[in-house]
Formats: sequence, C-alpha cells, structure tokens
Amino acid sequence: MSDVTSLAHLTDEEKYEHFMRRIENDEKIEAEDWMPDDYREQLIKLITMHGISEIMGAFPEKEWVPKAPTLHRKLAIMAKVQDEMGHGQLLLRVAEDLLKPYGKTREDIMQDLFSKRLKFHNVFHMPSPTWGDAAVIAWLVDGAAILSQTMMLKTSYGPYGRALKRICQEESFHSKHGESLVLSLAEGTPEQRRMLQEALNRWWEPLLMFFGPKSSKETGHTNVDKNLKYKLRSKTNEELRQEFLTKYVPKIKLLGLSVPDDTLHFDEEKGEWIYQEPDWQKFKEIIKGNGPKSDERLALRRSSYENSQWVRDALAEYRMAAV
Amino acid sequence: MTPEYKEVLTELLFQLADDDFIHAFRGSEWLGLAPHIEEDVAFSSINQDTMGHAVIYYKLLEDLGMGAADDLAHLRDASAFRNGVLLEFKNGSGEYLDSPQYDWAFTVVRHLFYDVYKKIKLEALKQSNYEPLANAARKILTEQTYHLMHWQTWFRQLMQSTEESRARMEQALLRCWEDMGGVLTYGQYGDEMTALGLIGSEEALKNTWLAEITKLFSEVDYKKPSDEPKMAHGNGRNGEHSADLDHALKILSEVYRSDSQASGW
Amino acid sequence: MSQDQSTFYEEYEVFSRKKDGMPLEHRFSLLAPNAEMALILAKENFFRREPIADLWVVKRSNIRKMTQEERLAFGRLDKAYRETKGYADLVARWRAFKEKNGDQEVEIDDAGI
Repeated sequence: MSDVTSLAHLTDEEKYEHFMRRIENDEKIEAEDWMPDDYREQLIKLITMHGISEIMGAFPEKEWVPKAPTLHRKLAIMAKVQDEMGHGQLLLRVAEDLLKPYGKTREDIMQDLFSKRLKFHNVFHMPSPTWGDAAVIAWLVDGAAILSQTMMLKTSYGPYGRALKRICQEESFHSKHGESLVLSLAEGTPEQRRMLQEALNRWWEPLLMFFGPKSSKETGHTNVDKNLKYKLRSKTNEELRQEFLTKYVPKIKLLGLSVPDDTLHFDEEKGEWIYQEPDWQKFKEIIKGNGPKSDERLALRRSSYENSQWVRDALAEYRMAAV
Repeated sequence: MTPEYKEVLTELLFQLADDDFIHAFRGSEWLGLAPHIEEDVAFSSINQDTMGHAVIYYKLLEDLGMGAADDLAHLRDASAFRNGVLLEFKNGSGEYLDSPQYDWAFTVVRHLFYDVYKKIKLEALKQSNYEPLANAARKILTEQTYHLMHWQTWFRQLMQSTEESRARMEQALLRCWEDMGGVLTYGQYGDEMTALGLIGSEEALKNTWLAEITKLFSEVDYKKPSDEPKMAHGNGRNGEHSADLDHALKILSEVYRSDSQASGW
Repeated sequence: MSQDQSTFYEEYEVFSRKKDGMPLEHRFSLLAPNAEMALILAKENFFRREPIADLWVVKRSNIRKMTQEERLAFGRLDKAYRETKGYADLVARWRAFKEKNGDQEVEIDDAGI
C-alpha cells in the first residue's frame, strides 16, 4: 500500500499516479476502486470478449454433445461444454460489474453481441463438421486458450484474476479430455486417423490466428501495449504463439500427423518458430462477424434468447409479486 | 436366477436405463440455449447426472450378459427401447442446431413430472430383491433430491407470474398429462415385476405420484386435467414409439456407427 | 420486452462452507431474479466438482461494503503490547529464576511456564 491515506482530496492526476503506483507494486485493483477510464475500458473490452467467446464457444462443440460416440464421451463433452458456459458466466459477471457505471447490464451485452458490436474469438466462427473437429478443438483450441489464460492469471484486476484462477483449474480437466479424444483417434483405424488429420488441417490457420497479429502494426491499434502497461497481461501475442508451437508441434508429429505448413520449422539461430503467416485480412473479417459460421451461430443464440424472453419476464414479475 | 426372473429383470432395467438416457439427451439439447446463462449451467449438471444414471443401469444389463453398455445405448432399434414416449418427444419444433423453437414450459413440466416419479420409483427400488439394483437406487437417490428442488422451484415460479407464463405452463401440463401415463406404467410384464419382488406395484407408485403432483398443483391453484394421466401416443414400455425416437437415436449413434472397424473412441 | 430487465438480473453473492465446522467463504456472484432461484442456480454454477456442506446467497444490495477510501483507513501501527509476540522475553526470565534458586522441578516451555 502506498502512503496515500485518503483519496478524497486528490486531483484526477494524483489519483492516476496513485493508481499506477498500485499497479507497479502489484496490488490488485477491485471493482469499486478508483480506476482511469482507459483501464476500465480496456478491461471491459478484454473481459466481455473473453466471456462471450466462452458462451459462443459452446456452439461448435455442442453439435457433438449428443453425437459423442460413447456414453463416457457423451458425459465428458457435456461436462466440458458446460464448463465453458460456466466460464462465460464467471467472466460476464466480472464484465457486468465493470459496466455498471455506464448503466449497462447483461441485456446490453447480449444486444451488442447480436448486432456484432461485440466480438468473439475467431475460432468460434469456424465450422466443426466431424467428430475429429471436436477432438482438435478440445485439444488445441483449449490448449491455446489455456496458454493465454494462464498468462493472465497475475492480472492487476482482482476479480478477473479470481475468475481466471477458477477457469484454469477446470481447464486442466479440459486438456486431459482433449488429449484423450485425440489419442483415441490417433490410435484408431485409418478412417479415424484420416478424420483427425483433416480436422487438424482445417484448424491450423484458425489456431495461429487465435493469438492475434504480431504487433500493433498489423492490428492498427494498441490494445496489447495498453494491456501490458496495466499488467493485464504479461506476454505479447507472438510470445504466446511461439509457446503454443513449442508445446504442440512435437506432440502433433509424435502422433504421426502432419502440420499443413511446409515452411514450419524451428530456427535455432533466431530461437523461434518460422511459420506461414495466416491471412490477417481474413482474420479481421472473421472477427467482424463475417466468418463461415458467424451468422448461423449468432442467429442460434439470438433466436433462443428471444424465444425465452417470456421466461425472464415471468421471473421478473414473480420476484416483484413475492417482495 | 431363473430365466423368467432374468427376462423380467432385464425388461425393468431397460425401462430404467432408457428413460434416463432419452430424458438426459433431450435435456442436453438445451445446452447453450436455456433462458438464462446460470440456468444453462445448472441444467447441464442435471442432464449429466441423469445420463450417468442411465450408464449405471446399462452396466447392470451388461453384467447380466446383455451386451456392452455402449452397444445397448447406441445400436438397438427404436422398437427395442422401453422408455416412456413422453420422454422422447422433441423439446419443440426445429433442430437443435437450426432455429430451435424450444418450449421451456414443456421442459419444466416434463422434468417435474418425471423427477417426482423417479424419486418415488427409486425409493421403491431400494427394496428390490435384486441387490445390485437396490444398491444402484440408493446411489442414484443421493442426486435426485436436488433435481426435484430445481424443477419444483421453476414450476412454482412460472405458474405464479405473468398470464402468458401461466397459459404456456397450462398448455404444457395438458400435453404432459396426455402421455405421462406411459411413464407411470411398467408395460406388459408389470405384474411379474412386482410378483418377483423386483419393485413395488405399479398401482401403488402411480397413486403416490398422483398424490404428490396433486399437492404441488394445489399450491399453485391448479386442478388436474382428469383422474389420471393418459397414454395417448402409445406404450413405450412395449416398444411403441414416435418418430421422434428414431430421429433421436440416429443422432445419438451417428459417430458410434460411422466406423464399424473402430475398437475405441 | 415487457419487463424492466433489471428486475430479472438481480445480483446475488454466493457463500459456501466446504465441510461442517469450516468457515463460510465468499465465492462468486450470479444473476437471478430472486433468492430461491439464486440458490438452486448457485450449486451447479460454482460447485460442479468440489463438495459443499452449506450454501448461502445474499442479495448484493443488502451488503454494506467498504469503499476504497474506507479500506485505506485500515492501516495500523504495531500493537505488540496486545499480542503474544510482545512477550518473548518471558522464557529467559523464568530460566534466570530457576538457575538462581537451584533445581526445583518446574518445567519451562516456550510459552513461559
């Protein structure tokens, strides 16, 4: 704690200095603490996107919940998709508290999602046509998510850190689940292996995109830099992507699968992976809500939400009657 | 175990397994589509529990030499299924991936009806003279009270709020009443099940259910539509089913059937 | 939309006790229209894997929380005079008596006597 004993008489500039000192001292900021608008807005952007991605992330896998091949797989994938919804719940609660000063609620978050003002991760705009996709999503999309979530565990925003801690604990089950799915297919018949390889081919580019472009040069904005300054995150997009490649490329090869990128190799001299850059223009389009499955999944979310409006109305009414 | 005992026992086990399996499947179709995110998460746990109960029963059948649990769940034709028809009905029109118009009122009432009955049935099964079944019932009961609490809360609130909600719920009640009779019956071997000491009588359990449901109804000022629920769309216990079950089984077994050479998934 | 959404989205704070005899701990929060609903939703939202023995939900608006300003008022100086660590010299002083007065069978432990 710094030597400030009262905030009441500080100018905004002094409050900002005090705030930045707290960040530098690795103190945790809580929901109702003073924070610069810039910090709040960064958090809102980051956490609503994270939260809504979890919710929308349920859809590509949901397709495979009833179709999961065995009773055990049915149970496990149900639990896994449920966890994703649960992570969405935790994160949306954090975002909703940040949105309070603007008078916004979950309802606004949903409306922003439906109108595409609110974005969600590129991977959840993609189709998942086979059981192999369910396996690759569970192994590698979750694997990528674990890396970026773990990196943010020490975030300066207390409520986000607590949600992430919980999320990362559950993700350790998800990564085992994903490995188990992939191993079963890799150990299986030529048909099962083919299914797995084709899914990997489909998911490779989206996976590289998942971490975002290398620098603000490609994105045209400075969110990553700000997030680093405020200690919301501790690594750049490229550092995470490199970690991902280091962790998974050897395992993919060990399974006898091939990565659909002839240029992929580890450059010993530079100490980094060289890979075929994904099409960042395509990435931007996908994120904007123009991916192959964007409209369909948004329509699914929207129609189910509107379809059950009467339920929320009824419960709101019941509460008022009960008070 | 005499052949007759085994035959009647397997009939009963298929009824228990298939009820939970199909009911859990219909519940799981709501994943990502429930009226509220928090409910989505809570509902999914109930579906997992219920599917887990089905697995316990399929394993009991496997132990009796009826085939592997996964084969029993995925490879039988609809006519071999013994679930009540009410449980196989779709949640509403549309597919779960394509503009589903799912009916939350129907889901709440169906779950309430089924879970009130399931608890009564499990209590009765604790006395079953087939020890593995009695043990399974004891285990499963530990999760059942919470499920019941969940649906009772939903039922009470939706029955006592807006006019629209009341109207939707009453419509759902009528619909479920039409076929709940098919869940309450033991099918053609019912008398033998009781005579052999596997489970208490169909009549007694049905009356307990009626008493409990009537009590819940009176709390929300609702009168039961007729003396007892009907079986308008066939007796699933005897293998009579709707097209909705064929459709469900096709989805449930699509991957399992896709590669006959596969030894593991 | 016939209702004001805020009446559906009430904030509830969730507290739980892992086992009998353990203290109640704050967990997370959820949105629910009333306490009954909050209670049935809380269990599966936050305790899917861990066992719990008890669960409370409290409407957030009923909690008087502290502001950041008020939390700053929690700074305090050393209060050794009211803690055991302020009395660490006792053992040595008892020993001194023991040595001075011969070998009486009084045992002296870390806490003094």
